[in-house]
Amino acid sequence: MSSSAAVEPGRACHGLAVRLPSAPRTDELQARLTRATGCRPALKNLRLWAEPVGLPSGDPVALRRRAAESRRALAPGGPGLRAVLLTYDDGPADLVLVAHRAVLGREGLARLASALTAADAAPPAVGEPPAACEAPTATRRLPAWGLGDPERTGAHAAVALNVQARASDEDLLAAVPLVLARYEEGERPGTGVVREEEEECGGPPDFPDGERPSVGTVLTRARPGQVYEPCAAPLFPLTLWWERGEDGTVRGECRFDEDAMASEIAVRFALQVVRTAERLGNRSPGACGTDGAATVAEAAGMTAEEATEVLAAGAAPPPAGHTPVTVHAAFEAVAAAQPEAVAYSGPDGTLGYAELDRRAEHRARALRRLGAGPGTLIGVCLERGADPVTVMLAVLKSGAAYVPMDVRHPRERLRNTAEDAGVTVVVTGAAGFPAPAGTRVTSPEELDRMGDDCHADDGTGSGLRAAPEDPAYVIFTSGSTGRPKGVVVPHRNVSALLAATRHDMRLGPGDVWTWFHSGAFDFSVWEIWGCLLTGGRLVAVPYWASREAGEFRALLAAERVTVLSQTPSAFAQLIEADRGAAGDLAVRLVVLGGEPLDVRVLKGWFDRHPPAHCRVVNMFGITETTVHVTSRTVTAGEMVRRSRSVGTALPGWSVSVRDAEGRPVPFGAAGEIWVGGTGVALHYLGRPDLTAERFVEDPFGGGRMYRSGDRGRLRPDGGLDHLGRMDNQVQLRGFRIELDEIRAGLLEHPAVRAAGVVMAAGPDGDPAGARLDAYVVLGAPASPGGIRGSLGRTLPDYMVPSTVTVVEELPLTVNGKVDTARLPPPALGSADDGTAEAAAPGGEGPVHVILDIWRRVLGTAVTADDDFFELGGNSLLAVRISAAMRDAGLPSVGLREFYLNPTVRGLEAAMTAR
Amino acid sequence: MRLTGRTALITGAARGLGRACALRFAEEGADLVLFDLGEHLDEVPYALGTPEQLEHTAGLCRKSGAGVLTATGDVRDPDTVARAVEAATDRFGRIDVLVNNAGIAAPSGKDLHLVEEREWSVMLDVNLSGAWRMTKAVVPGMLARRSGSVVNIASTAGLVGYRHFAGYVASKHGLIGLTRAAALDYAPLKVRVNAVCPGSVRDDPLVDGRMLGEIARSLDVPVHEHEETFVQRQPSNELVEPDDVAAAALWLASDESRRVTGSVITVDGGFTVW
Repeated sequence: MSSSAAVEPGRACHGLAVRLPSAPRTDELQARLTRATGCRPALKNLRLWAEPVGLPSGDPVALRRRAAESRRALAPGGPGLRAVLLTYDDGPADLVLVAHRAVLGREGLARLASALTAADAAPPAVGEPPAACEAPTATRRLPAWGLGDPERTGAHAAVALNVQARASDEDLLAAVPLVLARYEEGERPGTGVVREEEEECGGPPDFPDGERPSVGTVLTRARPGQVYEPCAAPLFPLTLWWERGEDGTVRGECRFDEDAMASEIAVRFALQVVRTAERLGNRSPGACGTDGAATVAEAAGMTAEEATEVLAAGAAPPPAGHTPVTVHAAFEAVAAAQPEAVAYSGPDGTLGYAELDRRAEHRARALRRLGAGPGTLIGVCLERGADPVTVMLAVLKSGAAYVPMDVRHPRERLRNTAEDAGVTVVVTGAAGFPAPAGTRVTSPEELDRMGDDCHADDGTGSGLRAAPEDPAYVIFTSGSTGRPKGVVVPHRNVSALLAATRHDMRLGPGDVWTWFHSGAFDFSVWEIWGCLLTGGRLVAVPYWASREAGEFRALLAAERVTVLSQTPSAFAQLIEADRGAAGDLAVRLVVLGGEPLDVRVLKGWFDRHPPAHCRVVNMFGITETTVHVTSRTVTAGEMVRRSRSVGTALPGWSVSVRDAEGRPVPFGAAGEIWVGGTGVALHYLGRPDLTAERFVEDPFGGGRMYRSGDRGRLRPDGGLDHLGRMDNQVQLRGFRIELDEIRAGLLEHPAVRAAGVVMAAGPDGDPAGARLDAYVVLGAPASPGGIRGSLGRTLPDYMVPSTVTVVEELPLTVNGKVDTARLPPPALGSADDGTAEAAAPGGEGPVHVILDIWRRVLGTAVTADDDFFELGGNSLLAVRISAAMRDAGLPSVGLREFYLNPTVRGLEAAMTAR
Repeated sequence: MRLTGRTALITGAARGLGRACALRFAEEGADLVLFDLGEHLDEVPYALGTPEQLEHTAGLCRKSGAGVLTATGDVRDPDTVARAVEAATDRFGRIDVLVNNAGIAAPSGKDLHLVEEREWSVMLDVNLSGAWRMTKAVVPGMLARRSGSVVNIASTAGLVGYRHFAGYVASKHGLIGLTRAAALDYAPLKVRVNAVCPGSVRDDPLVDGRMLGEIARSLDVPVHEHEETFVQRQPSNELVEPDDVAAAALWLASDESRRVTGSVITVDGGFTVW
């Protein structure tokens, strides 16, 4: 982020207040002022402003008044100096001088104050005031970690720090980049420095051409009887000011632009600088080489107190009185309490709680006979319906854990899953399940028949039951690379998830839940057990209804569904379907998860279902931490503010943001999200290496933690901002690019309703031809070129996608996430919108020669009027084209000509004109 | 505090709504330039605010920690206005908020054909042209900074007619027109112009209010009878307090109304919606 502020005269002004034991006569003071400054024509008629404060000199309001007076900026184009005499009710007075640095430096201010208050003091040399300057100030960097409020542009804050430190100037300066590195990992940002002794040279360094550093330090020395103010507006977006007293200690204040920094961040940053400087100062004298380096590394980290603070902010204590139980025990308790209540309904009929329990018990016997028990895994590959629910429950009752598989997954993947999991039995309805050798394949019907054959005394009616610590299910998640890995989740995590949400979401027997998601996606764990362990009715959504929003909407209305869980992508489609649909919905709670949420998609929903009737909760979650991690109720107000926060940790869970070494980073800084607490899964099945890498013991005392691979930042209130996947970061021609950032930029466009971005390799995998392709769903008419153009205003060039393709909807995976593999080929340039006729290849004349070269190099259809850059062109390809043109006997063209004439026709015309 | 670091210039600040605005702004951290005529006008049949009252307002504001500059002058005189704005800019560096509050309610109380030329002129010159002159002097600084808020204190008389108050009604209708046109002129440069339309404001002795009394006098009815009539005609069955008007002005002066310009806010207990 950067912003160009209008004239900011305050940055060049500084002030000095001198306490006088009694108020002098104003006419005498005015005469001295005229004598001292009258040599400059601009200051000839400088007026002394005398004003009673109306309060005693020691009153806190009076002290605030003096501080405000000392940092009151001068008007641009004025005399560059102001003298104010504040008189107090109890006798004393303050002389406050504010000057443009070009008129008076620090020493000059002090000497002018002496000249005005003591008859024999010589006045300082006074400089010429600068002409009013309307030019914008240097571009400021607005650091994302500052959590500033963009609506506060132009507003400044001054906060005194309650510290008295002994650190040296050098250590205070050396500490700033060390602390900054905690906030801006991997970057080497510059920092600014202004020293009092340098100020006599006309002022602090300006940054006319480059960027003003986001953090800078001002060093001054306290002088008895004087209260100094180094800047009327912050010299840097975050300005740390250290004033060294006569006793050698420093006191600190920070000044900051409120659009760049939140007060909590600015103050903490400043305090971290003090502590780091003091630790630097504590290096043993004479330490050098490795010893010295080690201490610097140590000083660069947060102190234990600082780390404790951020860790505590991200952790939510578990709900009081919760005792972990197994999933089936919890279900049996509900079934005993409400045996006749409907537990399940779907196209295949309904089941009461007692009946469901009885059937599951029956099948559990059969499973035990097949060898199921604690320590074994049973595959469940069934179409959504009553059968998979009873079978999953039966597996748990048998003491085993279930491995859900999606009947629509490719055979190869099903075989891999069964093999990797080492399931002993697979329960499936489909013929020809690709079972690995040694795996028993059975069906629910067969289990029923086997159950009928079991006798009360054959041992299948009882057996070892699972404990809360034992695995309940294993879900295979596909990482961005490599083979899917099985996440082993114990019973106690599911009961902790319900304990964390039941009260807050008022989940209970009156609720009707949809079961929308594939059993292989852990959102279904939430749907199935969230419902059945709180006494609700679970409505299975037939596959065709889960793919067609209109049908799904009709089902919600017909079944009077109250609790709906959706991915934002699927929910956006439902909102569309809901727009024109008749019939009331009874939905009182929408739980969104599985994908980042763009809150704006909720507008259509809130229009029809106000938050007072239907609560929308956005949840960030990971399979490895038991479905959910954080939750946040999204209000209409947050929608309007476009909040990106995913909320705070669920009770019992903890979130923290860490650097590459696993150290907590400060509030506001981006890093990897680590999750701890009761939701952390046991391990990856059969992957000790990966388990050791991702499930780690927290060196900071947070217990076992899961390193999520997601980027985020923690706010001082414990709220987490989700910034996308760490591995959504791609490398393109040397730039590290966050695809999610581009996606967020696309969604800023008012016409764009949904968006996705992918990086495409060049023809034949040529890295020089790699480009970014954007896909958008429009809610209002807009041209791809216009969207691309608007993106160019907020993102650096290298992040602007080469193509923008409008699609009817974004294809979704079985799990409801954007399926990048099924996106259509990108629309390249105008060739796709039918406005230009594609020239046939192989013609004659320079235009056709150039066209052929472009087609070859770009690997796509090209017309004479297509824009090179919209076709995915870049400087590397331009160089290649230029070389090919030279080889073909055409005049060579420079890069500059390419940028000025980015079409074949334009290029040809430019060559002809030469 | 909602106006910390801001400087507001308020005209007609010696008493009444001007003082109420000044006190409220001071409590919210603003520094103030308090402007008032501070002398008698022959055409106006009642006593206007005095320099002593202006200093009294200043003293009250200082107790809240405000820096205050007082200036006496006539909004009908462009030179006086320019000097006051220049002094204010020298003293405080800039003016962030302008409250055009100076106004007169009389000479009134008769059919318009009975209004004399000089009576008509003074009414329009103070109530309408005064706001224009002050805005003209203050706005260039705001435009340069791309930031500023102008609050015009109009009246329900800018929205509806009042019998025997043709000049006053015309001037306040004009002030609302000026508000809307100025809002359009300056909207692209982030300077906002809005109006507040107070209904019948109680003459609060704490701010030396006397508007209602003077209107009653113009109509030749006892004050309490006039008040009674207004209260009965008011949907809220009560008069507006000076601080109610100051609260609306404060909101328009503050960042909370950052996207509000050209609007006309009534603070009249529902009077104009009858």
